[in-house]
Amino acid sequence: MQYWKGLLCLLALLPLRLFAQDITIPMGVMPGLQFDLVRFRVPPGARVKIVFTNTDDMNHNLLIVKPGTREQVVSEALQLGEKGPEMNYTPASANVLWSLPVIAPQQSKTLEFTAPETPNIYPFVCTYPGHGTLMYGAMYVTADTALPALATDVNIPPQRRQDDISLEEKDVDHNNMHHGHSTALHPYKPVPPYLYRVFIEDASPAAIAVCLPMQLAYCWDASLCKLRFAWHGGFLDNSDLWKGKGDALAKVVGVKFFRDSAGYPLGAPGAKVSYKGYRLIDRFPEFHYTVNGLHVYERIQPKADGSGLIRSFRIPGAAQPLVFHAGDELQGTTFESTAGTWKGNDLRLTAAQAKAFSIIMTIKAH
Amino acid sequence: MKYILAFIFLIPTCLRAQSYKVETIPMPEGLKAENGALAFFPDGRLVAAFTRGEVMTWQPRTGKWKLFAEGLHDPLGMLVISNSEILVMQRPELTRIRDTNGDGNADLYENVTDAFGLTGNYHEFNYGPVKDRNGNLYIALNASSPNGRMRPEVRGKVNLAGRDSADGRKQMFSAVPYRGWIMQLTPQGKLLPWASGFRSPNGIGFDLNGNLFATDNQGDWVGTSPLYHVQKGRFYGHPASLVWTKGWNKGSPFQLPVNVLDSMRTKPVVFFPHGIIANSPTEPVADNTRGKFGPFAGQMLIGEMNRERIVRVMLEKVGGEWQGACVPFLDGHGLRKGNNRLVFGPDGSLYTGQSSHGWLGDDGIQRIVFTGKAQLDILRMHLTQKGFDFVFTQPVTASALKPANYHIRRYRYAYHKKYGSPQLDVQAVNIASIRATPDGKKVSLVLDELEPGFVYEVKMDNIMSRQGLPLVNGLVCYTLNKLLPAPGTAVVKPPVFPAADIAAGRKLLTASDCAACHKPDTKLVGPSFKDIARKYAATEASVTRLADKIIKGGTGVWGNVPMAPHSAMSQADAKKITRYILSL
Repeated sequence: MQYWKGLLCLLALLPLRLFAQDITIPMGVMPGLQFDLVRFRVPPGARVKIVFTNTDDMNHNLLIVKPGTREQVVSEALQLGEKGPEMNYTPASANVLWSLPVIAPQQSKTLEFTAPETPNIYPFVCTYPGHGTLMYGAMYVTADTALPALATDVNIPPQRRQDDISLEEKDVDHNNMHHGHSTALHPYKPVPPYLYRVFIEDASPAAIAVCLPMQLAYCWDASLCKLRFAWHGGFLDNSDLWKGKGDALAKVVGVKFFRDSAGYPLGAPGAKVSYKGYRLIDRFPEFHYTVNGLHVYERIQPKADGSGLIRSFRIPGAAQPLVFHAGDELQGTTFESTAGTWKGNDLRLTAAQAKAFSIIMTIKAH
Repeated sequence: MKYILAFIFLIPTCLRAQSYKVETIPMPEGLKAENGALAFFPDGRLVAAFTRGEVMTWQPRTGKWKLFAEGLHDPLGMLVISNSEILVMQRPELTRIRDTNGDGNADLYENVTDAFGLTGNYHEFNYGPVKDRNGNLYIALNASSPNGRMRPEVRGKVNLAGRDSADGRKQMFSAVPYRGWIMQLTPQGKLLPWASGFRSPNGIGFDLNGNLFATDNQGDWVGTSPLYHVQKGRFYGHPASLVWTKGWNKGSPFQLPVNVLDSMRTKPVVFFPHGIIANSPTEPVADNTRGKFGPFAGQMLIGEMNRERIVRVMLEKVGGEWQGACVPFLDGHGLRKGNNRLVFGPDGSLYTGQSSHGWLGDDGIQRIVFTGKAQLDILRMHLTQKGFDFVFTQPVTASALKPANYHIRRYRYAYHKKYGSPQLDVQAVNIASIRATPDGKKVSLVLDELEPGFVYEVKMDNIMSRQGLPLVNGLVCYTLNKLLPAPGTAVVKPPVFPAADIAAGRKLLTASDCAACHKPDTKLVGPSFKDIARKYAATEASVTRLADKIIKGGTGVWGNVPMAPHSAMSQADAKKITRYILSL
């Protein structure tokens, strides 16, 4: 009996003493004031080494505080006032258990300590002014291997508790609903046609994405003054772009049916183009630009049956014959026009025809 | 008895009405209210732009919001032209937005200028426009972030000398034209480079006298966030943008020695000490309400993103350049974080547009109203020969005469490529004497020393008005770029030294190695001789002090660059050289 008791005691001590190995936690920073590791687990009494590398472009510190005192410590740090910088924004408070001073971008420091024997949730936080309300996480001191579900963990910032709610504008009816619950993107319901000026792939940074009725959409480039591509089936997912954290693009939702392959559709390649703006006519933008000084107006609308696009051009000052290059590679689209004669993929227009003509682009049936 | 006394003392605190109250404007449902631009139409409607591209109007009488324009890309500045026309600064261009058919919705979006580059880097924010008295507009173009990239397709000519530096250290960059510049747009529509050296100038504005100011954000080459007086052709310190200087032939500006860059730059008129006054100062707006907004008419207020604060600056001209102090204007009171845009309403209240976009803070719009109740505050701060004068809004008691009620420190910030700067050479400053005018409005502090190049931080405690009001904002930081010229020496200096000494000094100077670092008129590595002469009175006391400096060398007075010792030089020769310099 004594023998068994002794063995039990020994076994009980084993996890604490014999296996209390060093635990190394690599910690970095993500854009938007977030520790890259939002929570981690260490066994009670473990020797912990946090290697904190400031991968951000701002200064940060790192404090581990007593359970439940994070907000209080953040407030105490702010109250340091003009003494903050020299104290590394670390208040002289009994609530602060361990801390690293302010670490400059791309610098690294290591914090070593022995985890408390008492299982609990110990917040870690950056108390650099303004950061503390967002930049925090939780150190779980526990012998359990499982942590509570991320989605319901109130010890980590709300935005880390789940995957970001997508802001995808999937439904072209624009009910602004997603995942069954309402996530309004705007204080109104966008009804096609409408547009966004966005960063988007396969266009210059001065791009205009236009949502048309009939589940059609296109991207018009205000640097090059031309239609870059068109798609159907949806519009845009702006969720990354609108987060405003790091480089991001609006994502095309749907299938691209056209990508402009012409060097420049109007006039010779290398023509000098200048973007002037757009006017909304029945909410459809009519783009205005000049090509070698000649004023051009272009409006893009869906075909009545939704099978493609109608591009209406006005060039009131056209005094010379003009060629419209549909491009070398028309992909899944056929081109027709209301005026002029086609020679291969080039449409030849007289000066009179160039004053007003339309290009009809029809998506080929698969 | 004790309880009664405590009760009596508590009454004034409890019953004190505040001079400013903060109201929150209800925002329309469904709006992500990250405010990037805020203005008023002549008819009194508020007009605000938000990061998802909406421009909305708010009628104060009815509280109704209405959509005016949509689809814009990160609108971060606005100028109202009429009740139906605005200019909005968005990512790709400055756009004129008009409602041409009077239905209340904009239908014409014209490109006013897009004559600047874009790489698609997320940090290429654009600010402004603000208008000068001659009808010129000014816009500010943020430098690009090393945490982002350049898109495969960019707009504008690429010059990687504005991006790549040899040590590979991350820095904000300018690889397409005029990133990091403030630009002037003439009434004829020509966009001209105006001033360079900006990193993240999220806020430009004019004072009431037509001087243009801009804030910048702490980071590489910006030790702590500054306020600049923006003047044509000047360079403000972040090197990247220099590649777009007309005739630039010096390759990568990042390769220039720091002392060369330092000598090229114009220093801030105000430093906002980081973590103390502001970490992310935003738009400066001049109080044009002629007293409707309280006692600070004519001064500039500046938003702060990082905490619940609006900052106030008090400027004065010293030696021909602006410099001055910053002080919290409003802390708390229900004010939120993220104060990004400021505008005075026709009613004389201050509207603050807030944004947490990609950052921290709050979203929405709040209104700050002056209640008319007096409060004790610092109205003005002025440099004097030996210290500072403080003018208070209310007469102060003898509490303002106690040295123990002031805590004064000075420190400076390094100019270097590292991100931000710690406070350097922090030193407590002792008060030699304190005087107050009989009316109790002005208090003069004489300090043991005044050293240009330092921020003087004055913290006041326990100062009370004669009516028993406590000082509301007692932390003020003065950026001492220049000392006042010594009285009587400003115009013509009397020849106080023997002519023979001056002549001998001149000869010795020519034969010395001084010219390696100093020039007569312009700053080289060290200050110009004329600047030295301007700073120090032409007295034998100065001669002894400076001669000692020449022999022993030193650092910190004029910047980081140390002056080499000249231990081989005799005391007599060093004094002659000094007499010559101080005679300039």
